Amino acid sequence: MGVSALRTENLSKRYGRLLALDNLSLDVAAGEVFGFLGPNGAGKSTTIRLLLGLARPTAGRARIFDTDAADVATTHRKLAYVPADVALWPRMTGAEVLDLLARVGPGTDTAYRDELIQRFALDVSKPAGTYSTGNRQKVALIAAFATRAPLLVLDEPTSGLDPLMELQFRQAVGVARDNGQTVFLSSHQLAEVEAVCDRVGILRAGELVEVASVAQLRRLHHTEVAATFTGTPPDLTGVLGVDGLHNDGVATVRFTLNGSPTAALRALADADVATIVVREQSLEEIFLAYYGQNAR
Amino acid sequence: MIAITAPARPERVLRGLAVRQVRRAALVVTTVCAGMSALVVVGYQSEALDPAALAALARNPAIRTLFGEPVALDQAGGFTVWRTGTVLAVLLGVWAMLAATRITRGEEDAGRWSLLLSGGTTLAVAVRQHLGVLAVVPVLAGAATAAAMIASEADITGSVLHGIGLAAVGIFFVALGGVSAQMFSSRSAANGAAAAALVGGLLARMVGDGMPALAWLRWLSPFGLMALTRPFDTNRGLPVAVLACAALLLLALAGGLAAWRDVGAGILVTADSRPARTALLGSVPAFAVRRTLRPLAAWSAGIGAYFLLPGLIARSMTEFLTDNPQFAAMAAQAGFPALGTVEGYAATLFALLAVPVGVFVAVRLAAVAADENARRLTLLLAAPVTRLRLLAAEVAVAGCAALVLITVAGLAMWAGTATVHAGLGMGDAIAGAWNVVPIVVLCLGAAVLALGWRPRTVAAVGALPAVGGFMWQVIADSVDAPSWVRALSPFAHLAAVPATAPDWPAASVMAGIAAAGAVAGTIGYRRRDLSA
Repeated sequence: MGVSALRTENLSKRYGRLLALDNLSLDVAAGEVFGFLGPNGAGKSTTIRLLLGLARPTAGRARIFDTDAADVATTHRKLAYVPADVALWPRMTGAEVLDLLARVGPGTDTAYRDELIQRFALDVSKPAGTYSTGNRQKVALIAAFATRAPLLVLDEPTSGLDPLMELQFRQAVGVARDNGQTVFLSSHQLAEVEAVCDRVGILRAGELVEVASVAQLRRLHHTEVAATFTGTPPDLTGVLGVDGLHNDGVATVRFTLNGSPTAALRALADADVATIVVREQSLEEIFLAYYGQNAR
Repeated sequence: MIAITAPARPERVLRGLAVRQVRRAALVVTTVCAGMSALVVVGYQSEALDPAALAALARNPAIRTLFGEPVALDQAGGFTVWRTGTVLAVLLGVWAMLAATRITRGEEDAGRWSLLLSGGTTLAVAVRQHLGVLAVVPVLAGAATAAAMIASEADITGSVLHGIGLAAVGIFFVALGGVSAQMFSSRSAANGAAAAALVGGLLARMVGDGMPALAWLRWLSPFGLMALTRPFDTNRGLPVAVLACAALLLLALAGGLAAWRDVGAGILVTADSRPARTALLGSVPAFAVRRTLRPLAAWSAGIGAYFLLPGLIARSMTEFLTDNPQFAAMAAQAGFPALGTVEGYAATLFALLAVPVGVFVAVRLAAVAADENARRLTLLLAAPVTRLRLLAAEVAVAGCAALVLITVAGLAMWAGTATVHAGLGMGDAIAGAWNVVPIVVLCLGAAVLALGWRPRTVAAVGALPAVGGFMWQVIADSVDAPSWVRALSPFAHLAAVPATAPDWPAASVMAGIAAAGAVAGTIGYRRRDLSA
């Protein structure tokens, strides 16, 4: 395995009696686009604050390119950050904020920045006080993507963007990936995560419950099958991998499939199948399955 | 069954919200006003005053400019009004103004009112209810002051009139802050405009008191109107009635203006777009300078004007006190010794400079805490900028700006005295002004300490050595407290520079305490979680 862009070892954070993050161990390789999922309050932003050295861990360690996250003079030379809630000095214009961030930041590709300003259609001559949430987010996104820093930490970066801008965002992530940059993307937009991420980590109540590639996640979870028959449907009770079996009318059978489909297909082949629909669950359905009952 | 909470009347909810935001500070302000007045009444020692000397005192323009028109000094109540009236009125006015902009424009700025105003209420109602609640505080402070003075056996009519005057000044500044918050679309701009009006009002009172030809100016100033009531003397009701009417008109205006504008906007429209001004954006210290320049210019103008005036009257003042030793002794009891020479006079006035400059540094560091709390610092802190570097830059810039302010005050005083040929050297003036540096440094150390451990309290803790120390000294002097009580105030350890040499040991001790506070604060700041 190559270099880790970011790594946490048994990272925990306690706020008074609330354990916001419990023993998180996570490793994101350089060059990876990593999606970080979880409902509100699961500890995503806490993790990011610890990674950035803005908050101090109660236990465990957070490292950025093998440097402790507390050493921000070193780690922040290698990362750019887009907060979930972007606040700017209201009297400074967008151009002035971008100029400030470029001059104190880890180095900026100004030509690419100008291109991003065009692509995100941001009027940088206006004072930040007049910007909407989406426009403030654009300022932070442009500043972050223009740095070409090896690690981009994005905390719900598109919550205020319209679908057109969301598309620009995905393109910018693609450019970053092509440049070999690592992207750590915390998001609620599951379609977005599905579209851009290589791997996904799922956090629940401060604990990491799953880390897998999007494809693996799907395989780990069941596939929905609906079949109609010209004759009598076969009895699938007890067939390996078949679950949640129920009959819709006399000629339709629905079930979910876990693991290998061989046994189920063999059972189906003996009957006269008229139609068959096989559907993988979306990330959203997987996500909801995780949090449906025991949500926080 | 579905239970729906019966909608309370929105006005009630709004009032409750406003009360929660001001109740603690309101208690402090009321206690200070009442407590300080009662202490001075109790501590007053009547001395037989020569009527001719009294008349000379009342006529002297310098005395009138600095301390207001001295009336009824032969009574405990009259002396108390003369001694504490302006200080308490300024304190109450500043608090009222800042609280008014904080709970209206500040909340709106932070976006918290958007949710509030989506319910069954309008902006105008919200502004009216908040200012209405806040306007009750000066009434309480005035009532408590009057009650405390009466309880300390001051004359009833005078005490009540003084209390009403204080209340009216407070309400006036609640209303002024409210109007300013409607005019400007940011809390800092609203504060700046209202503060300029407050300093203007104070200067108008001073000039009006000092120059008979301009005596009418006092009718234009809330502090002037309060003085014109002459409690314990002629007890005039008209000026305070004028002030109360002006305050109520302004309150009504604030509500009216709120109905006129959009949420989040101001009556005065700011430029929509402009070319980028990229000066002073190159580094963290440069950016700190950039954010300090505008407030520094405003504070310099105010402090410069304030210290020019005492310079202009220096000669008249010192000559008067040399001719009337009885009043020199009385001024000494009031905490102004050695006023008889221009150097002693300058030294006495320069000590006051520690108060505004101490508040200035506290406010500058409070702005850092506010930026952190509003998450404006997040993007800077995500850059390769250590907390130590950020804090060091902010502290250094605030400290240097304070030195600029101090120098401006020294130069203004010198310019004033030079105009009337009072014989104060420029070097002496600068040295006298710089003599307050230890107290300002104490404020800076206290503010850093608070930023490290209790970031919400930076302004109050930072201003404590200057404002608290000054009030402590006023009370200690007025009640003739034992020397160890006096010694608790840093002002007790300022030498009368330029009349005497600086007290280097005391200055070193204060610098040492400040450094300890700064180190402890820095440790806390590096260690704690940032709200970013």
